This record gives sequence, C-alpha cells and structure tokens, in this order.
Amino acid sequence: MKMIRAIVRPEKENDVVLALEAKGFPALTKTNVFGRGKQKGIRVGPIHYDELPKVLLMIVAKDAEVPVIVEVIRNAAHVGYEGDGKVFVSPVSEAYTIRTGEKTE
Amino acid sequence: MLLEITAIIRRDKVAPTMRALDALGLGSMTITTVSGRGRQGGNIMTDIDREIPAEYESVSKITRALTPASFALEHSLTRPVFWIPKRMLQIVIPSAMKDDVVDVIMSVNRSGWMGDGKVFVSPLEESLRIRTGERGLASI
Repeated sequence: MKMIRAIVRPEKENDVVLALEAKGFPALTKTNVFGRGKQKGIRVGPIHYDELPKVLLMIVAKDAEVPVIVEVIRNAAHVGYEGDGKVFVSPVSEAYTIRTGEKTE
Repeated sequence: MLLEITAIIRRDKVAPTMRALDALGLGSMTITTVSGRGRQGGNIMTDIDREIPAEYESVSKITRALTPASFALEHSLTRPVFWIPKRMLQIVIPSAMKDDVVDVIMSVNRSGWMGDGKVFVSPLEESLRIRTGERGLASI
C-alpha cells in the first residue's frame, strides 16, 4: 500500500475531493498547512510572503490504484501557475480499520 | 529498525490513547488536528443518531434533520463536502513493539461505530534527536 500526500491550493480542495469521489475514492484526510516551494514564496511589491496557505490531502491506497489517484489529483488541481502544489507517494506496510480490527497489507 | 504509526482517531479518544501508550513506555507523539472522511463519504448521521437504521440512503440520512450543510446540499449548485473532525497521532516506535502498539491503539479506540479511524504502519528510514545528535533507535 501507499500513502499519497497531495499539497494543493485551498481553492482547489473541493474540486480534488469531488473528482476523487467520482472515481471511487471517498476516503481521505485533510489538514491545513503552510509552506513555500522552490520559488521561496512570492513577492508582491516590497512584501515577501513565504508562508502560503495550502491544503494537505492524505490518501492511503493499494499500489495499483496509485497512478489513477495521482492522475485524478493532477487533473483536478492543475492551474498551470507556480504554487499548484506537489504530490508525494510513500510506502505503508500495514493498515488497520479500528472498528473491525481488519488488517490490510 | 524504526516504524512510524499514523493513527487517525476520534477527538475524545486522544487522552485515553496517550494514557495507554504511556503505560507501554511510549510517551512521545505528534498530534495534528485533521478533518477526514472514510468509506462512508462523510455521512455521519447514522453515527450520531443511532435511531436511524443503517439501510437508509445517505442523502435521506442527511436531510432528515436539516443542518447548514444539508441545507447547502439542497440549495446550491456546488455540492458541499462533509468533513469530520479527527485527530492524527504520529508515533515513531522500534519495529519490535509494532504489534503491542497497534493492539493498544485499536482496543482503546474501538467503539464499534463508523468513524473509529484507521491505523497505518509505515517504514521510517532515519531518526535524529536534534539536541544530542543521536540517531536511530537511541533517538526515540
């Protein structure tokens, strides 16, 4: 299994979630985060912003579903300008559903 | 070998979980406020109102008692997304303790209703205690 962590624009959050839901991935976790990217934030006139608000979406999925999810996120969150965000994929060895105690590897 | 446990649990279960983990000798953890939804897609009415039979369609579950969210569902073009507040605990443990920790977290958090949460176990490559510079097992 893999954990997919996508950092997206806050205004694109709803689009991404609904697109994932339409593809059959309703389960995810989100947090509001702040960060900056390669461009070291943005500069508007004399003011430098380097803590830009983003939304972090966390999805755990089977290996085979990962390319689909990444593509869905990419299409839904894409604007074409700096600050669109990143998608990270990391390994998860086991997942447990607390209610049933069911284990997925 | 280090493992990272990510547990997404109910808000009111953070303190009992911390006490139970303390008893195992694991005092350290990171707690994040997150929102989430599971396989049920955020439809929590059966979870709150146990009188509602589970076979109701999700929409009727939501509109039976009109909430701001269900009002928005009926009256807007953009469908709202329902988020349930949760807490995420991240604990780094030696891999030998994995089964104990997972069992403790699951037994403390299990209520039998939807929304109990998930526990994820993932491998972790490196850990460093910033104060002393210790690495690996010595640092946790």
